[in-house]
Amino acid sequence: MAQFIREKLVVDGVETVLYTAGKGDPVVVLHGAGTVDGFDFAEPWTEKFRVIVPYHPGWGESADEPLFTESHDYVMHYLELFDQLGLERFNIVGLSFGAYLAAKFASEHAHRLKKLVLIAPYGMAVEGHPMADILALPAETLIPMLVSNFEVLKRRLPEKPDLDFIAARYREATTFARLMWEHPLDSRLPRYLHRVKTPTLVVWGEEDKIIPVQHAEVWKKALPNSELRVFKGAGHLVQLEKPEAVQMIADFLA
Amino acid sequence: MSGGVRFNAMFFMPYIHLPENHKEFKSLWVDFSNKYYDPEKGHELYNRYLQELVLADRLGFDAIVINEHHNTVYSMMATPNLIAAAIIPQTRNAKICVWGVPPNFMLPNRLAEEYAILDVMSKGRLEIAFPLGTGMEYWAHSVNPATAREKFKESLKVMLQAWTEDGPTTHYGKYYTYRFLNPWPRPYQRPHPPCYIVGSGTNETIEIAAELGLGYSSVFVTQQRAADLNNKLRERAAHYGHTMRPDQFPLLTYVYVAETQEEADREYSNHLRAFFEDYARAERYIAPPGYLTIEQLKIRAAAADKMHGGFDYDAISKSFFLAVGTPEKVANQIGEWGHRMQTSHFNNVMHVADMPHWKTVKNMTLFAEEVIPRVRGREG
Repeated sequence: MAQFIREKLVVDGVETVLYTAGKGDPVVVLHGAGTVDGFDFAEPWTEKFRVIVPYHPGWGESADEPLFTESHDYVMHYLELFDQLGLERFNIVGLSFGAYLAAKFASEHAHRLKKLVLIAPYGMAVEGHPMADILALPAETLIPMLVSNFEVLKRRLPEKPDLDFIAARYREATTFARLMWEHPLDSRLPRYLHRVKTPTLVVWGEEDKIIPVQHAEVWKKALPNSELRVFKGAGHLVQLEKPEAVQMIADFLA
Repeated sequence: MSGGVRFNAMFFMPYIHLPENHKEFKSLWVDFSNKYYDPEKGHELYNRYLQELVLADRLGFDAIVINEHHNTVYSMMATPNLIAAAIIPQTRNAKICVWGVPPNFMLPNRLAEEYAILDVMSKGRLEIAFPLGTGMEYWAHSVNPATAREKFKESLKVMLQAWTEDGPTTHYGKYYTYRFLNPWPRPYQRPHPPCYIVGSGTNETIEIAAELGLGYSSVFVTQQRAADLNNKLRERAAHYGHTMRPDQFPLLTYVYVAETQEEADREYSNHLRAFFEDYARAERYIAPPGYLTIEQLKIRAAAADKMHGGFDYDAISKSFFLAVGTPEKVANQIGEWGHRMQTSHFNNVMHVADMPHWKTVKNMTLFAEEVIPRVRGREG
């Protein structure tokens, strides 16, 4: 498997760090509202694709951009980044909040996408099945809710309370709050998703405690060219818990 | 200091009827259920507290200080302007200090109006402080903590513009648009009531006070930090061409006066303990996302449990401005603080936690009749 190479770009004045590995059709991976889970799950894809994993401004190794106060600012950021990378047509795999950003991007720029994969996308209002409020839950409650099998996540967490770890999570929550505190749901999503004619795979863990699996059908219906795969025994971070989901995504993208 | 030494009586109006198992709750703020609020008991408490506020005026305190908190037993003054309106007709001389309403939770034109109404009703007895609002308040409101400081600053600008320029004026900002900024009534005091910033001393709030030449009252900070903040504000205000006066640095003190030291300790310490251990216990709600910078978060995470919800009497009395004892001792202590902090303005908490009415009246009476004249006599 190819080694990920770290790269730092300045995108519209914002220092943006991305990791790239592999050759082939480009696959951009957009991470969720936290970066604790990492992106090593994407390693198998590097055998057939050029995998590009950027950190969103305000997350992980990328710089803060306090002027980004709505999610659409991230669509503009990625438009700029993709131009800078010379990506004409490519694939996006989005995770949770990153899947929400991917869907927003796709509703405006579907012509640039070959295929789209949305893993447990964030943001839809589904009557009777609310998303967990990740800004309101204490970390000790939220983190175990992310997975069905806690062991897959545990090794990525510090063993003892760690001030730097807490500070890193607080920073990412701050960035997320700046975008989503007043309006954690996007009421415009159902109106615009029909524009995404791109072949789309929606992936969900049946035991998702962050965004209930009932959202999956709503997304599938809203996306005109989509298929849905639900994995038993998996939570919100399906990609960590189910290697077969990772494989299925590779097959879909091929 | 001079004869102009000023003494405020400050109150929180807590809801004191905590359930027996209240220690089991990590926080008595934000998510502590309002099912524990009994309006019958609340009614009795309002009657009692309002009497105590009015008594401060009768006893000759220079000012009555009230403030705003939400979703908590710590305070029953969610909208302190209502409390101010209730005591204005019952008081004669004391300044009414609403210290204050966090502007982020109101429309600034409307807050400018409410304050002007109180100032006109009281014939110019109003004083105002602008708090950002504690982190806890942001969980209770539909206001973004991550952009709160910027919004706060704009709100202040709108209010001061409304008071310093004849209306109508306009304001086209990031958070507010006013096509006709023209609030009626105007304040009684010209151009507006004395204003302070109140906060725990972040660089941002100090800078706002310095730029606008406003007073600054630090709360929930240690003695050393309060001194550093005052010095920093003097320095930064000078940078903007403002000379700060000693009365612009109200010093928050916790006081209890009795005939002997033993009596004072015995009568006060449990209430002070309850104040820090229970009433101020807010746990993780202190810092909603974006409310603090990462640097502040790290500093406060390390010190947090001492400030909210932990109690060590010695640490508290070293950290905070705490004077408990005979009139002589309390007067000496206040005099010493005044010199050290270069302030002539003392903002004294007269009642904490579940302190009963009789102790509050005793404390206020002894402070007014035995402590204030001693301090004033020495400062001449």
